[in-house]
Amino acid sequence: MKIWRLSLFNLKKNKREAIGIAFLTLVTTLMLSIVVSNQKKIDTAFDESFKASGSVDTCIRINKDKYHDAFRTILEKDYKVERLQEGRMIYADMTDVRGRDGGIVSYNMIFVVEKVERKMESFIKGDQLPNSEIENLEHPIWLPSSFEIVKGYVPGDIFTVLKGGKEYPFEVAGFYETGLMSNDGGSFKIIMTEDDYDLFATLFQSSISAECIGLFFDAGEDFDFEQYVNKCNEAASENVSLSMTHYCYRYEKENEITFLEIFMMMIIFLAMVTFVASLFLIRHKISNDIEDQMQQIGVLEALGYRSKEISLAYLYEYVLAGGCGAVLGGILAVLITPIVNFGIRMMMGRNVVGTNGIFGVILITLLVILIVVLFALLKARQVKNYPPVIALRKGIKTHHFGKNVLPLERYRGNVNLGLAMKGFLSNAKSIVGVMICIVAAGTAILFSALTFDFFKDDTKGLISMMGTDTETIHVQLMSGVDPEQVKEELLKIPEVRKAVITHEGTNISVKGSSNDAYATVFDDFANAEDIWAYEGRCPERDDEVMIGLRRSRTEGIGVGDAMVLEVNGIEKKYLITGVIGSLHNGGTTIYLTKEGYERLNYHARANMLIVYPQKGVELKDLEAAVTKHFGGSAKDAIGENLEATDLEAKVKAATEEKIATLMMQYGVTDLDYAVQVGDQQLIKGNSRGFVIKEITSYEGIIKTQMLPIARTTKGFTFAALILIAVIVAVILYLITSGDVRRQRQSLGIMKGLGYSSKDLMTQIALKQMPVVLVGILIASVCAYFINQVFWGALFATIAETNWLVMIFTDLALAVFCYLVTYFSAGKIKKISVNELMTE
Amino acid sequence: MASSILKTEKLCKSFSNGGVQQHVIKNLDLEILEGDFTVIMGSSGSGKSTLLYALSGMDKPNMGKILFDGKEIQGFSNDELAVFRRGNCGFVFQSVYLLDNQTVLDNVLTGALIVQKNNAELVSKAKELLKKTGLHEEDFKKYPNQLSGGEAQRVGIVRAIINDPKILFADEPTGQLNSASSKDVLDIFSDVHKNGQSIVMVTHDLKTALRATRVLYLRDGGIVGDYRMPVYGEADLKERRNGLTKFLEDMGW
Repeated sequence: MKIWRLSLFNLKKNKREAIGIAFLTLVTTLMLSIVVSNQKKIDTAFDESFKASGSVDTCIRINKDKYHDAFRTILEKDYKVERLQEGRMIYADMTDVRGRDGGIVSYNMIFVVEKVERKMESFIKGDQLPNSEIENLEHPIWLPSSFEIVKGYVPGDIFTVLKGGKEYPFEVAGFYETGLMSNDGGSFKIIMTEDDYDLFATLFQSSISAECIGLFFDAGEDFDFEQYVNKCNEAASENVSLSMTHYCYRYEKENEITFLEIFMMMIIFLAMVTFVASLFLIRHKISNDIEDQMQQIGVLEALGYRSKEISLAYLYEYVLAGGCGAVLGGILAVLITPIVNFGIRMMMGRNVVGTNGIFGVILITLLVILIVVLFALLKARQVKNYPPVIALRKGIKTHHFGKNVLPLERYRGNVNLGLAMKGFLSNAKSIVGVMICIVAAGTAILFSALTFDFFKDDTKGLISMMGTDTETIHVQLMSGVDPEQVKEELLKIPEVRKAVITHEGTNISVKGSSNDAYATVFDDFANAEDIWAYEGRCPERDDEVMIGLRRSRTEGIGVGDAMVLEVNGIEKKYLITGVIGSLHNGGTTIYLTKEGYERLNYHARANMLIVYPQKGVELKDLEAAVTKHFGGSAKDAIGENLEATDLEAKVKAATEEKIATLMMQYGVTDLDYAVQVGDQQLIKGNSRGFVIKEITSYEGIIKTQMLPIARTTKGFTFAALILIAVIVAVILYLITSGDVRRQRQSLGIMKGLGYSSKDLMTQIALKQMPVVLVGILIASVCAYFINQVFWGALFATIAETNWLVMIFTDLALAVFCYLVTYFSAGKIKKISVNELMTE
Repeated sequence: MASSILKTEKLCKSFSNGGVQQHVIKNLDLEILEGDFTVIMGSSGSGKSTLLYALSGMDKPNMGKILFDGKEIQGFSNDELAVFRRGNCGFVFQSVYLLDNQTVLDNVLTGALIVQKNNAELVSKAKELLKKTGLHEEDFKKYPNQLSGGEAQRVGIVRAIINDPKILFADEPTGQLNSASSKDVLDIFSDVHKNGQSIVMVTHDLKTALRATRVLYLRDGGIVGDYRMPVYGEADLKERRNGLTKFLEDMGW
């Protein structure tokens, strides 16, 4: 008899198990192949796209009023920068845009004219309207190609910027290849006409959103921005660091590929879970098969077959099953290349034209097969431990001389449970393998469930981790307005639940750190709702400060350490009392009490209110209610003034400007006015319109920046959840069906004694439960730590473990495992007791 | 007159072998009386074991009725049959079929705990029965592979009778035993029978059949001979053997 015929016979006999093994190796190969064949592609796709744009690798943006020509000179002389270019640009921070679907989204944008764009890069145009049409457009703009790829814009769409209560619609002339400033994480560079640029330059005039000077050059990897800023500070004789922003190739790449790399890591993790499960199952099944076919082995040996030859039968069987799975996985990986390319393209916002990485796929396929061969070979060699006589006696293994575990004599309670526990303890050796599978798969499931739950309401979870009260509006007051009085009025508005007086945060220098800080100031942090210390406590005294986890980790400082802060040349020392998991301002935010902030910035007066909505009230409704109550913000009024075209509007604007001056210079607090012609009141207004300088909310920008990532992660973790559940089901099915086959005679005897199929299925399911429960418990601990590491590494923040979800998933997983095992043991039903015993 | 405990009407059982239907039991009518020690004999392939499995609810017939204590069981599902077996039948197998990974005592209790819940009572009953069959206290903790064939079969018998079944079924219980062990085992069966236990046993062996009060001869799926004897006793053994031998010879055995 050719030995491979035994393999074929076994494969045919255990078709489902073979399909299970093939499925697991297919999934492993597919996932590993996706990673291997695309990792390089992600890297090169960005590089090629960047190169195609003809962009310089560095841009330094400096607020126009802080710019000195010396800054150019430093670059040219100290850094030997050649072909240094300079151009004007407008930075628009968190600016609302009406999206394609009519909804409002917020972007950080840079507006430039074509002339400046050509100084930065080659302005390679992509899809666009015909030139004849573009010439006739009143307000044409060119958007980065990522708007076309990710956000679905097409040439001819209307892109409306909202500012000062006014809408500024632009026609999308087309898209262009962008090097720097092409993603949600940084800014989007938008090219507009000179006239539109001039208009916007007058619109954006705050301390943050304003016209800037851009310096464009190729600096290479070694450019030390911090050192450059120090030189600029010296040259300007003031601290200009807060007015300078650095854009470079490396940051741009990190922004665009970080999430892709995290997804790749998650895929590797899933692949490893699956592969470990496959290898364990192969091992478990070979062991079972050998035990099951012991007498057959004995007969073959007696006939003169060498143990090596018999081992090959098992090897062939699993190499065939695993090999088929691996090859199919490889083929599938090649076939789904366009889908993967699409995913990468959507995540990066850049065109991806990569190959299918067939070499990597072949390599992974061969590697998977090789490992399967080695694993199967190691276990199949076990045959040599059974010479004919022992094999014919079903091996020593079936002989029990050990201690009787859990004797029924002493057992009280349900007999099915008792027999299940007895069976479980008698097979303690196989527990380790099952445990590894359950722990690995359980960890992946729990982590996926926690992540999915976190993103179930898209960005809501992220918003809660900002380290600031994000579900609020920030009402910035005109100078001289009494915040206490405004607070009282705010509390009268039905939509307002709470109002807290605070300072408009200012950028603060941190001594010895290149990361400036943005202060969040509260009179009493007990009034905050989403600000809580992960370690230590919130500041309570004027010499205390709380810092973000990212700063704590990157700068190696923590609770008990001191830090020196500086504003306008005044330095004060603070004791760090707490560390907070904060996404706000990239984790650089510091938290000070009102007194603590005023100690450092003694000119500062509380000029802002954080307004909390009543339950169920949307922020936009809250903003509308506040605006209605106070008659609009001064910022809105300025916008109106600029746009005023008719006489009435001009009169109104002029009146309001006059009132604003009265308020600020002479302390006028309340004033109504009206322009009346005859009996008809043509124009009316009041001074309350100038109580509010501006109303802002963080929610919009967070949603814009994080929504695609949140949705992708949600989709990915859900898919992972389903996939791993299928893998767990396959694992348990294979283990259980193997157990049923191996124990069919015992099960037959039990049936003969009067145990029903349901009793036996219950016993088999219960037998797995101790391993499953302990495995889930360990997996919960692992998932908790992985979750912490994931969030810490990704956002330098603390993951809030949703224990309810964790417990629910634990229970669901336990029930799922029980049911899968129970129904996998259903084979018992199909065989009559007579057949079971006589087979 | 003893009452009927088990009855079949037009019982049929067939197997499909390579697409060919093999009719093993054909329209068999049979009645087993309470307290009888019934032995079913016949040549190989006559359907003895098939009949035994069908009567005991181990297997389902294709057609016909099986009435156990007046209740039809042929339509029971597998699980209903299991529940039926645990309450009414005990089974002793030719290959003993003890559970390898359980001790002697646990093997017995595994069969008992599914029916009875009082563990303490069961343990003492199991031990008492095991002792009655000649096993010693130190044997109770042994595993099946540490027992001789005879000892194992004694455990098998105790396991079968621990629940006081209405009928004890036995399929060639001495088929794998030497003559000394066979005698011990048969003595146990006789003792159990004398205590009122109804027994249905399949055998090839004349010595085993001698213990019966009734011998049925099966040929081509039907009962062709029915021979009655008094309750087994050593005194009339010769006469008993002659009578049975003659019956069997008449049957073509």
